[in-house]
Amino acid sequence: MQRESRIAHYVVGVLTTGSLVLLSLPLSSPVRSFKACVSYVLDPISYQGERGIQKMADMPSRVRELLSADIENRRLQDELRRLAWLKADVESLGLENVRLRGFLGLKTPSGRHPTWAHVMQRDPQRWYGSVAIDAGTDRAVSLNDPVLGRKGDSVVAIGRVIEVRPRMSTVMLLTDSRSAAAAYLSSGTIDGLVQGQDGPHLRMNYVNSEAKIVGDDSVYTSPTSVTFPPDVLIGRVLQVNPRDPILAMQSIEISPALDAASLQEVLILRAHTMPGEAPTTAASTPKAAPKPDPEDEP
Amino acid sequence: MTFLRGVLVFVGVMFLQWWWNTHLSYWGITPQFLFTLGILVASRRGPVAAMLIAWTWGLYADALRADLFGANALLYTLAAYIAGNVRRQMDLRAVGPLATAVFILSVVYALAMGLIGTIFAKSFFWIGWPAFLVAPFLNAFVAACGALAWEIWGNG
Repeated sequence: MQRESRIAHYVVGVLTTGSLVLLSLPLSSPVRSFKACVSYVLDPISYQGERGIQKMADMPSRVRELLSADIENRRLQDELRRLAWLKADVESLGLENVRLRGFLGLKTPSGRHPTWAHVMQRDPQRWYGSVAIDAGTDRAVSLNDPVLGRKGDSVVAIGRVIEVRPRMSTVMLLTDSRSAAAAYLSSGTIDGLVQGQDGPHLRMNYVNSEAKIVGDDSVYTSPTSVTFPPDVLIGRVLQVNPRDPILAMQSIEISPALDAASLQEVLILRAHTMPGEAPTTAASTPKAAPKPDPEDEP
Repeated sequence: MTFLRGVLVFVGVMFLQWWWNTHLSYWGITPQFLFTLGILVASRRGPVAAMLIAWTWGLYADALRADLFGANALLYTLAAYIAGNVRRQMDLRAVGPLATAVFILSVVYALAMGLIGTIFAKSFFWIGWPAFLVAPFLNAFVAACGALAWEIWGNG
């Protein structure tokens, strides 16, 4: 105890002397150096403490920002998904735009209303006979409405409606053997009757035997057709059959402009209007509808 | 008390003093953790270790102020020396005598600081009435809490 007391006396003497020197000579170089040294060693406690407290003070706002970022992230992901749908929709509209641009070149007969429909079913047993489409009485489709297809920017004659149900219809294709349509050749406006063969090709019958037929000639619907509007492409001449020495006419094999297998979307020219639909005016129908032709019926 | 724990407490008390001074001090009223715990160490470990610690803490307190560099080091050292010697006459291990000693030394500290200002800065360094009247009580309370903590974690 005595030894500790003696050491304590020495220590208090030394430390008191040191403190008095620091107090007495605050501007002297050694004291200033010592003060700078003490500050250098001990100031990090304050400095780092302030930084640590600042970080802790910022923690609630950072957590809040993190939560906000998470919410924003989820919202943007939803937005991205919605935009993906929108993009698909825009692309679909773009395709529809191309399709409608082609449709603009069609001379819609007076009293006809265009409606697009999708091919929803094919019968493998009657591949060239008929297809089912997803439009019926719900969209004012009626019997014998002409059905057109799209090839590039133009429309092509496909067939006509032979059966109508509430939400679907059956279209008999031109390639069906029961189909027929009045048509003409583009080179010489030679009329004939295009008939189906239950196969990939059509046959144009009753062509004047004296007519000179150009190869690869195009075949269009005739203004005399009772079903189709005039000047709609049917196909191209594939070959001219040998003349029958007895009959004063000849026949031509026609390659349809649109293959039945590639048919996905069709344009129906409806005779009836849907509720609330305005009737077509004469201004939008430059060409009058042809009169019924008995030859045109199958 | 292990060495590592001692170092942590040594640095932690300085940090606590700075933090309280900076963020929780009103009208200059702040508990003097460094001063009080210097006395607490003296009452538990004797004057020599307490004076060395108190002198360093005093230098830290002086480094945080612009004038009278060395005043706190001197007063903290003397307080630790006095407490270390008084413990032979008083049982400073008990909370009551320790708090009383801290209270008295706090008042003496405030007056001595003014006296040092008179000697070395040519003006009485008055810490203000709020701090003079309240700080001794806060210091006594801190000393009581520190004594309890020492009993729990400091192995007596």
